[in-house]
Amino acid sequence: MKLNNKNLILSSLAALGLALSASAAIAADYPEKGNFVKGAKAWADNCVRCHNLRDAKELRDDQWITTVFHMRVRGGLTGQETRDILTFLQQSN
Amino acid sequence: MSKTIKPFHKALLAAAISAALPITGFAATDLEILKQEVAQLKNDIKDAKEWRNQNSLMHMAGYANVGYVSNDNPAMEDSFVGGTFAPIFHYQFRDQVMLESELEISTAEDGSTTVAMEYLTIDWIINDNMVLVAGQFLSPIGNFRQNLHPSWINKLPSAAPGFGHDGAAPVSDIGFQLRGGFHLGGMKANYAVYMGNGPEIKAEIAPDAGNSEVIDEIEYDGIEAEAFGADADGEKVFGGRFGILPIPSLEIGVSFISGKATVTSYEGDEFTGSNPSLDGIAASTYDVAGMDVSWRNKSFDVRYEYIKSEVGDTNIGGFDLATTEWSTWYGQVAYKIPSTKFEAVLRYADFDSPHGSKDQQQTMVGLNYLVTNNFIAKLGFESNDNPNAGQKAYDRALVQLAYGF
Repeated sequence: MKLNNKNLILSSLAALGLALSASAAIAADYPEKGNFVKGAKAWADNCVRCHNLRDAKELRDDQWITTVFHMRVRGGLTGQETRDILTFLQQSN
Repeated sequence: MSKTIKPFHKALLAAAISAALPITGFAATDLEILKQEVAQLKNDIKDAKEWRNQNSLMHMAGYANVGYVSNDNPAMEDSFVGGTFAPIFHYQFRDQVMLESELEISTAEDGSTTVAMEYLTIDWIINDNMVLVAGQFLSPIGNFRQNLHPSWINKLPSAAPGFGHDGAAPVSDIGFQLRGGFHLGGMKANYAVYMGNGPEIKAEIAPDAGNSEVIDEIEYDGIEAEAFGADADGEKVFGGRFGILPIPSLEIGVSFISGKATVTSYEGDEFTGSNPSLDGIAASTYDVAGMDVSWRNKSFDVRYEYIKSEVGDTNIGGFDLATTEWSTWYGQVAYKIPSTKFEAVLRYADFDSPHGSKDQQQTMVGLNYLVTNNFIAKLGFESNDNPNAGQKAYDRALVQLAYGF
């Protein structure tokens, strides 16, 4: 029983380490980071031009990338506004 | 060599862990739970590894709506409507290029399933102020078609007359666009300019009153301003929209299209003779002008949009077709009732067509319940009127559930 528990703990620690390294690996390194505060304002100013605001917690970081780039094209956002809004959403979800 | 060393390492490690941790206190049930968690964690890691390369991203967004339509047209029964499922696929490579495509899938009255391509574009992010959008795109003319038509965004369960797939406002085109935004002094501006295949025109033959095989006159019937995969007349159109926001809550846009379009088909079955050939007929001028204004504050959302499309004269088989125009506008006020999830909406629209039977003046009131910001239950009532003598437009009541995802 003791040996099993030890193996289990070892496996848990190893799994935890792998999980952390994996989650670090899947964080996209683009676009470059924007300004969180400016992003919050740009999010509030621009998204409601057409639709109700969506909660930042609805999507993961990678999903926000595609969503905000889609809205950049649709809403005529600048690249800087896009990066600012994305930074705000990714740090708020 | 390794076969003899590995067991030794295991034993050493086991001894170290055993000394370091108070493991003996584990109950059997705790152990089982921990085993399950470890198994789950291993699976999570495996899944994460499968998507380690984040240079390419894939995401599906979109919207769907279902509903019920009641009307006072004796020739039409009240019906549940299957609505529309419109998935939007995004595939993106870093911050350089994005593929976007929206399908519109719906159930037709006869039970068949229809699938339509709303748009399919490859968007090349050129710089901070410009994106090249190539392929089939929603018309950038005005605001409703390109930004407001999804059912979870549109505050009423129907489009204003002339702004749907039915009238004055162009729907889509195939070609390329340049779009983007920039700062202009203390203001914000956005733009879209495009070149595309342009629309095709339908003509209608009015037969002689005494002989349905004899042509009395030929006139324009309508503009088919949905994307065509081939340019029937080789005439391209050029257009775009410029929007300016003097303050963040106010946007004013102007739109235009200029080009040529050609009659490619006939509409109607009253004429029973042989249709005049359309080969070699002269292309007509095609011009569109539009304006849109939107303003909002915490509770109010106010919109106005006007679009006029004009087709210049031509001649078919010796019959002159006069310059013809279609125009439509709507004004809409939505009020989100404070501290509730209810929203009241009022819209007035006026669609003018060269054919009196298609003219429509519409007053629509709606009440929405925002279950969430992207899941909305709508109730709307359309009071429709055709101002021309002898013409009738039928009223409708609509219920809709719209979900954006």
